Parts: sequence; C-alpha cells; structure tokens
Amino acid sequence: MIELFGYLRDIASQAWLALKDNWLRSVLSILGIAVGITAVMAVGTISKGGHYLVFSELETFGLRSVWVFRDRQDKDPHRVVRKGTGIDNDDYATVRAGCCPAVSRVSPLVYDFGKRQLIRAGNRYSNASVEGVGSEYTAITNDALVMGRSFRFEDEERRRPVAIIGPQPHADLFGVSQNPLGKEIRIGQQKYTVVGVLKAKSRSFLASIGSAGGQDANNRILIPYTLYQQQLGKKEINWLQAEAVSQDQADIAITQLSDTLKRRHGERFSYKGETMAQYIDTASRILQGVSLIGVVAASVSLLVGGLGIMNIMSTSVLERTREIGLRKAIGARRRDILLQFLAEAVFISTIGGALGLLVGTLASYGLALATGFPLAPSAAMVVIALIVSIGVGVLSGYYPARRAAAMRPVVALRYE
Amino acid sequence: MIDLRGVSKSYRLGEVALPVLKGISLHIGAGEFVAIMGPSGSGKSTLLNIIGCLDTLDEGSYTLEGVAIEAASDDELAAIRNRRLGFVFQSFNLIPRINALRNVELPMIYSRVAPAERLRRAHAALQNVGLEDRAAHSPAKLSGGQQQRVAIARALITEPDIIIADEPTGSLDSASGHDIMRLFSHLHRQGKTVVMVTHEDEISAYAQRVIRLRDGLMEKDERR
Repeated sequence: MIELFGYLRDIASQAWLALKDNWLRSVLSILGIAVGITAVMAVGTISKGGHYLVFSELETFGLRSVWVFRDRQDKDPHRVVRKGTGIDNDDYATVRAGCCPAVSRVSPLVYDFGKRQLIRAGNRYSNASVEGVGSEYTAITNDALVMGRSFRFEDEERRRPVAIIGPQPHADLFGVSQNPLGKEIRIGQQKYTVVGVLKAKSRSFLASIGSAGGQDANNRILIPYTLYQQQLGKKEINWLQAEAVSQDQADIAITQLSDTLKRRHGERFSYKGETMAQYIDTASRILQGVSLIGVVAASVSLLVGGLGIMNIMSTSVLERTREIGLRKAIGARRRDILLQFLAEAVFISTIGGALGLLVGTLASYGLALATGFPLAPSAAMVVIALIVSIGVGVLSGYYPARRAAAMRPVVALRYE
Repeated sequence: MIDLRGVSKSYRLGEVALPVLKGISLHIGAGEFVAIMGPSGSGKSTLLNIIGCLDTLDEGSYTLEGVAIEAASDDELAAIRNRRLGFVFQSFNLIPRINALRNVELPMIYSRVAPAERLRRAHAALQNVGLEDRAAHSPAKLSGGQQQRVAIARALITEPDIIIADEPTGSLDSASGHDIMRLFSHLHRQGKTVVMVTHEDEISAYAQRVIRLRDGLMEKDERR
C-alpha cells in the first residue's frame, strides 16, 4: 500500500514536472476546463434561482390549493340557457360541513367582475381589487398578517362590515406609517372597518409572465363574501378555493368537490377544477427544460475544454516521443507511461475544475447577495463538479496516453 | 550470456520487405568488451537494438542470461531493460527539464527503489563518473562529455551486467570521446559486459573483440 502510494507519487511528480515545463500551454488548457466547470456551476445556480423564484411565488397561492368552478364548455348545450356560476352558499355550507374527506379547508370567492367599486378613506383613494372571501381564506393562501386579525366565522355569518387590506391599499388610503386598524373605509356605498393588514408577498415574476391572474397580490382588499354578495345584489359564489389534505390528494379533492356540486344541482351544471400541484408540475417541467438547455450548453463548453486537453496531450506525446523511447529503454512499462500522461491530463482538468469551482462559487454567492435568494452551491454540486473534471481529464487524456504507452522503444528513440 | 541463433530481421518499405539481418548467430560471454562495426546499412544498429531488447526479431532465437527474449512479454522486457541492461546513446537522451541527479535517479523510479535510497545511489553514481559537483545542473548547462557521463551514471544505476552503447562518442570531440572510452574500459575491467556500435577504428580499438557486419551478415569476428 505504502509502496503503491510512493509509486503513484513518483509518477505524478514526473507528470507535474512536464506540465511545469510547458506552463503556458498547461495554463491555457486549465482555463479551458475552468470555463467549462464555471458554466456548469452557473447553470446549476441559475436553475436553482429560477426554481426558488417560481416556487416562492407559487407558494403564495398555497401549495395545496385547488379551485373548483363551473365548466363553461362550448359544447355544453345548456351553456346559454342555464345562467349562473352553479355554486351557491348552501354548496359552501355543505363542503364546510365535511362532504369531502380530501378537503381540509374551503373558502368561497366572490368577485365584482367588471363593476369596480370606488374605494376611499377620507379623501384618499385606492384601486385595489376587492375579494369576498370566507373565514378560512387567508389560511389556505398562506397569507400572514402584519397587524390585526384574520376573519372569523361570525364575520361571514353575520355579514360584519370588516375588511383586511393589503400593503398597497394601506399605503394608498392611510400612508405606510399610519395604523389603519379600527379605521373606516368605503367600498362603493358600504362602510367597512379595517381589522387586519396583509403581509406583502411577491408575485412579480409570475405577474411578469402573465400567470398571477392579472392581479397584484399586494393590492387586494378582503371582505366577508356574504356582505359583498349583498352589496353586489347576487346570491352566487364565483368559485370555491379549497385546501387539499395533501398535495397528492389535490385531484381527489377536485373530484369530490365537483361530484358534490353536481349532485346538489341535479346534474344541471358540470364543473372543473385546477390544482396548485398541476401548476407546480408545469413550472417544474418548464424549469427542467430550461435547465436542460443550460446543461447542454455548459456540457458543450466542458467538451471543448476536454478536446483542448486532448489536443495538447497529443502534441505533448508527439513532441516527447524520444523521451518516451528513453523511458522505455530504462525500464518504464506500458502502464508507467500511460499513468504519467493520464496524470498530466488529470492534473490539468482537476486544477481547472477547482478553479472553475472557486469562480462558480464566488459568482453564486455574489448573485445570492444581490438577489437575496439562497443560491449557495450544495456540497453535492461541488463533489459532482470535481468528479466531472477528473472524468474529463481521464477521458481526454486516455487516448494520447495510450498512444504514448504503445510506442515501440526502438521507433520512439529514432524519432526526430 | 548473450546468445543469438540465426537471427533475421527485415523492415517493410511499402510492399517490399527489406532484409536487414540475414541470419546472425553470435555468442557474447560475460565480461567481454565487443565493438560492432560496419558501413551504414549493414545492420549494426538493428543488431544492437535486438541485443538491447529494444527491437524484436523476425526469425531465430535470442537468449539473454538464460531468458528466451523472443518469448518474453512487454513487461518482462521492460524489467530486463531496467535491471540487466544499461543504455548509452549517441545523443545522450537526458531529460532536459530535470537536473543531472534526477536524470540518474530515473531508472530506479521504475524499479521502485525508495526515494531516500534513490538519492543516495544517484549521488554515488555521479561521484563515480566525476560529476558530483554538477548534480544540480540541468543537462543544457553541461558539456557533451559531461552529459554523456551523466548518461553512463544513469545506465549503471540499477547495477546491470551489460552496457549497450550506440555510437557513444558520435556527438563528442575527440578528447571527450577518449575520456568516455577510458570510462568504458574501466567498467570492463570491473567485470561489466560492454556491447558497443561504432564506425571509428580508434574507438573500436578499446574493445577486445570486433564484429564486422556487411549487408546483414557477419563478415569478421576478431578477438585481440
């Protein structure tokens, strides 16, 4: 064992001396690999960042959320005849009473599609969107409050004129430094008392790709759906948003909800649902696709680095043909020569890999500082980068090294 | 010790096989100092390469210290070159990027001698050729004669019985050439077998046996 270690060290030191002798060439090939490994790390960091960005925003809708609403298919013959959303307050009460084992929470949603109300407090105005919701809504959507309280069941049951406002209406109607709790706002003709303020959440990325329902998550005002229905003069619920007991149960939750609604309405309507799980799937697939493109691009750059090593090793073998002949004459076996040239290639690729790792790590920490995302490279990534660079060295060094090892001593010694 | 029987060797030149050795039988005993001579193209270098296990033979047999060389594997040949043969070349063949001491040490890396022992022996070998004060010099900083003496120290480092020398004075001026030959004579007196190719009569004069080749055949075999 000690003897083997000593032997490898001797061979490695022969390789190292040869690299030093051609230092400029060695440095250039080291840089080739470093660029490749940096590119691989950059792809890792960027896809990690993208993942974080998308998932941290998707999370603001509640990862277990499902939405159920009337399916207005064109081919439905009753589409025009049977008006309405197909969901009423009794449906909501039924779900709340526990019709569906896969559902843990549920909230109705009432919107004012097209009929925007004027919102004001004193002489200040807001253009927030108003959502009539149930008492479990903020729990479903992972909304936290910076002050005040969330809705209670009595609020919806007794149509209390209370409101929870987002950070944007808070700023517009009162100013960020003012405590709005207990203050009055008007939505249309109705007065509401502010009981809570929502914590800010980011959906800027999703909004930028048009996937946040066209809403600014921070420019919302929540009020009890019952009072909003009264104010709008309707008895319907636009859709139900529910929370499945787990992400896996989301599809089952939709089936249970749709079946319940269908049965309660005597099959007059059909329903469909969407799940957060399905959005997460889509997002994952898009991210995987983007990452794959990046991986391909980074691999190409690593391949070019590997070809660079192969090229300089081939040149080096040719230039040192007489040296190889001499080494064979004084007793080097095939594997001694093979190992020496492989060691040269692996030195280049490992140093290049370590350099790329360093640059890539610094870059991802820099990006993490700039964006606030947790982008530090994982230990697994570091290990993979090193294994990949050693592998590139072995693969690209093997062919020239084998050619060197296979040289016949008499031919090599005669080489001019 | 060195026993060649009916050795033939030809090189391919395109379609044609060009015979270089046409059935050479030769016995060299332990402790002999042999010069192989002949005009260029006579096959003397090929014969030396075969004796030095650097080249293979087409026909015949070659026994070196009891080992059938024509049947030996690559690794066995490497071990034989490492331990039983020492090579001295016309162009010295020192590795330019390492100093004299490291060049002398090189064969012992392949016979896996421990590093401390390697250095001790390399120093001693340089001392034997009178170059202990040049140990740290790179080959480029040594004269031709000094480089050849480093090469001889390297050839002797694994204590082989046989020295194979291919025109060892071919790149040297006359004075350095004679220095090198005196070193060879000294080795011969110590009991080493020396087999040397040369085309100079005054160099072959140091040998006790001169073999002359012509057109791949042995023309003369004189002992003095």
